[in-house]
Formats: sequence, structure tokens, C-alpha cells
Amino acid sequence: MRWHKRLLVAGIAGVVALAASACAGGQVRGAGGTPQPSTGGTQATQSTENDATFVYAPNLDVVTDWDPATSYSNEIIAMTSIYEGLTRYDAEAKEVRPRLATEWSSADEGKEWTFKLRQGVKFHTGATLDAEAAKKAIERTMKSGGGAAYIWSAVDKIETPDASTLKFTLKYAAPMDLITSSGYAAHIYDAEALEKNEDDVKNGKLDAGTGPYTIDSWQKGQETELTLKAFDDYWGGWRPEQYKKVAFRVTPEITTAWQLLQRGEVNFVQRLNPQLFEQAGMTEGVQAKQTPSFQNLLVLFNTAEGPTKDVRVRQALQHAIDYDGLVAALKGSAQKAGGLVPPGLLGHTTGMEPKQDLAKAQELLQDAGYGPDNAELKLTLTYAQGDEDQKLLVTLLTAALKKVNVTLEARAMAWNAQWDRGKKGDQDIFVMYWFPDYADPYSWFLNVFRSADEVSFNLSYLKDEAIDKAIDGLPQLTATDQLAADQAYADLQKKIIQDEAAVAVPYVQTYQRALTADVLGYVDNPAYPNVVSFYDLKPAS
Amino acid sequence: MSALPEAAPLRRTLPRVTDRFALAGAVLIALIALAALLAPWLAPHPPDEVDPFAALRPPDAAHWFGTDAAGRDVLTRVLYGGRTSLFIAVTVLAVSATTGVLLGVVAGYAGGWVRDVIMRITDVFLAFPALLLSVALAVVLQPSVTTVIVAIAVTWWPWYARLSASMAASIATRPYVDAARCLGVPAPMIILRHVLPNSLTPVLVQVSLDGGGVILTAAALSYLGLGAQEPTAEWGLMVEQGQSLFTTNWWVVTFPGLAILLTAFAFNVLGEGLRNALDPRRIVK
Repeated sequence: MRWHKRLLVAGIAGVVALAASACAGGQVRGAGGTPQPSTGGTQATQSTENDATFVYAPNLDVVTDWDPATSYSNEIIAMTSIYEGLTRYDAEAKEVRPRLATEWSSADEGKEWTFKLRQGVKFHTGATLDAEAAKKAIERTMKSGGGAAYIWSAVDKIETPDASTLKFTLKYAAPMDLITSSGYAAHIYDAEALEKNEDDVKNGKLDAGTGPYTIDSWQKGQETELTLKAFDDYWGGWRPEQYKKVAFRVTPEITTAWQLLQRGEVNFVQRLNPQLFEQAGMTEGVQAKQTPSFQNLLVLFNTAEGPTKDVRVRQALQHAIDYDGLVAALKGSAQKAGGLVPPGLLGHTTGMEPKQDLAKAQELLQDAGYGPDNAELKLTLTYAQGDEDQKLLVTLLTAALKKVNVTLEARAMAWNAQWDRGKKGDQDIFVMYWFPDYADPYSWFLNVFRSADEVSFNLSYLKDEAIDKAIDGLPQLTATDQLAADQAYADLQKKIIQDEAAVAVPYVQTYQRALTADVLGYVDNPAYPNVVSFYDLKPAS
Repeated sequence: MSALPEAAPLRRTLPRVTDRFALAGAVLIALIALAALLAPWLAPHPPDEVDPFAALRPPDAAHWFGTDAAGRDVLTRVLYGGRTSLFIAVTVLAVSATTGVLLGVVAGYAGGWVRDVIMRITDVFLAFPALLLSVALAVVLQPSVTTVIVAIAVTWWPWYARLSASMAASIATRPYVDAARCLGVPAPMIILRHVLPNSLTPVLVQVSLDGGGVILTAAALSYLGLGAQEPTAEWGLMVEQGQSLFTTNWWVVTFPGLAILLTAFAFNVLGEGLRNALDPRRIVK
């Protein structure tokens, strides 16, 4: 279900045009969260009408799925300007902010949630947003079962006591305010219009959102793939200086994107490599921005089969990774991880920062019957084709393991091939990125480490009843007792990383982006990877 | 070979390979081959010695060609990369030339349906653009150096088959071949002792011309991620790794790129020179 998204992440630093690689970078609108409706007394300053187009340079195709229910890929960078959710997460304040809902409350220990809807919100289709429409949209998304629709799985029923009230009754407690802020599958749209005009929606001719922008043109495969225009009746209103036009110009080559930015032909490059980023910091006319992401690298060890079934071998592998060297070589585009959960999210732990210890690795291997005095140990590893950062990990790990008589057979693969192979359990080590769908650590545990009969993303093949049980209790704790949830997350990480040694987490990625210097108001929001909140921007005058 | 008077044309012309260009090419290739062969002794560092804290250092006294993203010595890897590239080139040329020439000579000498069958199969392979077929094959097989060799050899042999078939066909009608046949020499013997040696000259030229092509194709496949895999030292792979760093860390991509350029150029010069030297029309001069 997540493959689109993984694919999108696969390429991170990669620039191989051929491989279906991509980059995840990301950010978003900033603090403040909600645009204020432009009531009478707007700004005192006189601004001139902004007729410039803001050009975003993504490194791969923008849209693969126009349906807001199932969309689960790179189009998040456009969808979040077209569609809105009930809430929005503010990563700087670490708070959920109002969006289409103005206020909300929970009852019954987090099993009942009531959202008050904003008044006067119009869909791009002309219809007016009310509780019934919101209900229909969410129910349609739930029914689709595609993309990130799973985020609604706690929902038992939705009621509309009145036209501006949405009431969720849950099967088990869950943080609905966070869930409704998801960048995927939480969009509120005009479900009726969408179903009536299915073909037009599929072909990007029509959208049914409430966001500040609406589709102007979409030409799949073209360099300027997508253009957006302002939606005049946006509930937040429009000020003259805001960007009314947005274009996405697909630029796979990182160096090309950088040159376009220097010439002012594009305004935003979603990810530079550390070297270009350094250059960007010293280039006039360019602003360089870096923000820690919610995305980390997971090195998953096969706990079910092969030599890594022995926990000592897994621990040895954890000790063989040169964490500090890797972060040093990534030159600012990554920071060392202290556990499974990146900083900024509930459950982030400190004091678990790993360190390379080859002597310890050798000792552990010796105990397991390998190491320099015994037969050579051969391990297979799969990673994302075209991803320079992952390749660096592989290079360093191969060199380190060679010293302890372990030969790593590393294979760079396209995501789908790598994942298919992973689902068969056909490797000892699986390398991939992970980031949450909404600003919550739950997905690292539910998707990656909860046992499942059919392998999806639990690619360490961990099967542990106690861990499963602890994971299942997380949403309820999150909704009712944050402190206890924090502790539960910390305990689980200890168990998974230290006791089970099912995974090594080398680093959390740092987004390194560049904008033209004349753009004001840009804030990166890692909860919405690579998203730019065009509505909040204005050119320097 | 001295037992074969028919091989005279080849032998007679060989000393003429004094063409300056050919010589320059030959010397260059010899130097490159020597550097590759002696890499373990010449290289200042082990080929996969990493030093992440010294990543992307510009060329200096310790690292003449600088270091790459993992802090490996670029000079070392260029030298070792030469081993990979030349090994691929030699293997591909040996395999494809042997296969192609044998099939071609048999087809050319036998004529008739044997020729038709062999040449039609050859045509099927020639119908695809060579690089495209190589890429398709490499995609299907697991990416590795062996894959590169197989993928290129499969697309390369038909050229030799066609070339030697036409040579063999013309030689098969020569009086001395007729004579041998009348004396009752069995066909395989005629092919081996008379037709084959006399068909070799153009093949030799083609092989030397193709050396560069094979190295370029191998580099292209590795560049596309279909060939040698990390951490193997291979020029195409190194170019791929360095290309996005070109504006900021030029040395990572430049040196392996130059190595490819130089080697392909040397093979071309050698091939051109050989062709001129062996061109019968030139002997008149």
C-alpha cells in the first residue's frame, strides 16, 4: 500500500535519470498554521498585485494519482495546495492547528471526537462545505482502502449532528486531531462531484478541493508538468502580494536544477546535495534552508532466516556500522539518529546513539561461529538504486565488515524489485527510508515491526507477541496519556533495537533546499515532506 | 603460422604496422594495460579503503586525484578500474570474435542453407541497436561485471560473423582452396588451415577498433547501474557517482572520465592505424 511513497523516497540523493528514483525532501507552511480570513482591515501597507509564477523544481514526475482518497506519492507537493484537511500539524510548535475545522474536542477517553467545521468554505466545484460533505469524503476515502486510507482504521462511525459538526466514534482510542492533519488520505473533498466526473479528475482537468489553488493545466510527461492558479473564492481570501500562479518544472538532474535556480528560472529546489548546498549558502540571490526531516534510514536485519537469525550476528552488524563516519561523509545532510523516532516527534529518545565498535562486532561474530578465525560469512543486502546516501552506507559497511571476515553482497535495486524480494524474505539486510504519514511515530512500529502473516513493511520479519501487544496499545496511550505513550515508545525502541537487534538506524535525514532570495515566508514543515505552502509566500518588494 | 604459406598476406603486412598513429595507439594501450596490471603495486592505497572523514578532498600530495564521497583514493580506483574495464574488453572481444569468426567462416565456406541459417540468425541480432540489446539483456540478468560481459558479447559477435562470412565466401572460390578440395582435404581442415587464416586480417582490424567501443559500452552499462556494482572500481560507475558533484568536486568524475576517453581513443587510433597499414590499396603507395 505504501509502495508509491517508498518509491518516491527511494532516490533521495540519487540522480540517476534512468532509475525510477526519487527524492524526498520537503517542507511546508509554517507556523501560525491557519490563514486568517481577510477581514475588512487587512494590511495597512499598500502592495502591488503579484502576477509572478512561483516555480517549484521537483526531481521527478509530480502526479501519479489525482484521487485525493488514494493519492500516496509525490503529488503531495501539489495536492496539499489544492486539498485541505480538517487540521494541520505545525512542526515548529509541535501542535495541531485548525484548518477546515476550527475547534475540536475528545471524550470517552479518546474514543469520541467532535470537530466544528469552518463556515463559508467553498469547494472548487462550487459546492459549500458542510458536515455531510466532509463525512462523505472521509467515508469514500475509507472505502477506497488505497493509499494511506488505513489512517482512518480506528473510525467506527461518523455522525453529523448539525451542518457544521462532525462526530467520530472510534473502535479504540486514537489521536484524531493528528490523524486529520495527515498529508495523505485526510483531504476533505466534494465526493459527489468527484464521482460524477471521474474521468476529468483522473486526467487532472478537475479537482474537488477547498485549498487556495486549483488545477490550471496538467500535461503528463512534459517538463512543466503542472500549473496551479489561485482559487478566487478561497476561504482564507487573497492579498495582492501572494503568488497567484504556481508551476512545477520537473528537473531530474540536481545540477541542472541548481543552475536553473541561479538563473532565477525556478524559485525552489527541493533537495541539493551537501556540496551544492554549501555553494548555495555562498551564492548571492539564493537562500539556502535546512531543516531536520521526519525521515530516517532503516537497516533491517532478517530475524527469521539465515545467519542473521542469530541475534549475535545482528548485534555485530549494528556495531559494524560507522555511524559517525557516515554522518561526517554526508556532510550536513544527515544527523545521527538516537532511536527509531526522529527528533520532534512523540517518543523520541536520547541516550541511544549508536557507535561503531569493530572489536565488539568481532567478538560477537566469534561467539556466533564466524569472524576472522572461522569460515567467511556471506550476507546479502538490498538497497535503493540511484540513492547516493544509501550507497555510501553500503560502501562503508562493506569495508568495515571485510575486516571481520564478512562479505557483503550488496545489490542496488529499483524499489518494486527490492520490495518484492523483501516480501519473500530473500535477503539478510534490507535498507529503506521511513517517514510517517502524519506527525506521529506509530507507523514505524505498526508498519515496520508489528508481526503480520503477510509481509508488507515488516521487513525484519520480527514476530514477538509482547512487542505486538505493546504496539497495539500505542494509539490509545497517545490519545489519552502522552507521558505514558512517550514511555511506551521508549521501551519499545529499547526492545526492538537493543534486545532484538532487528534494526539499525544510522541517521535522520536533513532537508537541504534552496530558494531564490526574493521569496519571503518560507517555512519547512517536515510533517508534509517536500511541500511548499505557496499561499504563505510573497516576493520581497 | 610459418607452416601456412597462405597466411602470407597477413605476415607480410604486419611489419608495416609502423604507421605512427597505430604505434602511438599501441603504446598508449600498452601503458594503460601495464598500469592496470600493476595496479596493486602502483596504487597508493588499497582500492576499498574508506575514510569518511576525508571524503571529497581535492587533489593533493596524499591523494593525487583527490578522494570520492566515501573518502576513497580516486587515483587508486582509476587504476583498479582499468583492470575491470580491460578485463571486460578483452573477454568480450575474445568471446565474440571467436564465436563470430568461427560461425562466419563456416557460413562463408559452406554456403547454401548453412550460410542462410547462420546469417539469418546473425541478422536477427543485428536488427537491434547494439546498446539497446545490451541494456535489455543487462536489465534481465543480475547486474554485475559478468552480466556486462555477456550482454556486450551477445551483441558484438554478429559483426565478426558477417565480416568473416564475406571474407570466407570469397576465399572459398580461390584456386588454392579448390586445389585443396580436389586433393580430398576434408572441409574442416580446409576451413581451419586455409580459409580461417586468410579471413583474419579485417577481423583483426575490427577487433582493435572495437576495443574502444566495448569499453564505452561497458562504462555506459555500469553508468546506468546495470553493470559493475558498488564497491567494485569501474570507470563508468565512478562517472555515475561523480556526475552530480561535477560543479563542486570536479575530480571525482573527471579522472575516470578521462581514463575512459583516453582508452577508447587509444583503441580507435590503433584500429585506424592497423586498417591503413593492412589496406591492400595502400601497399601500392
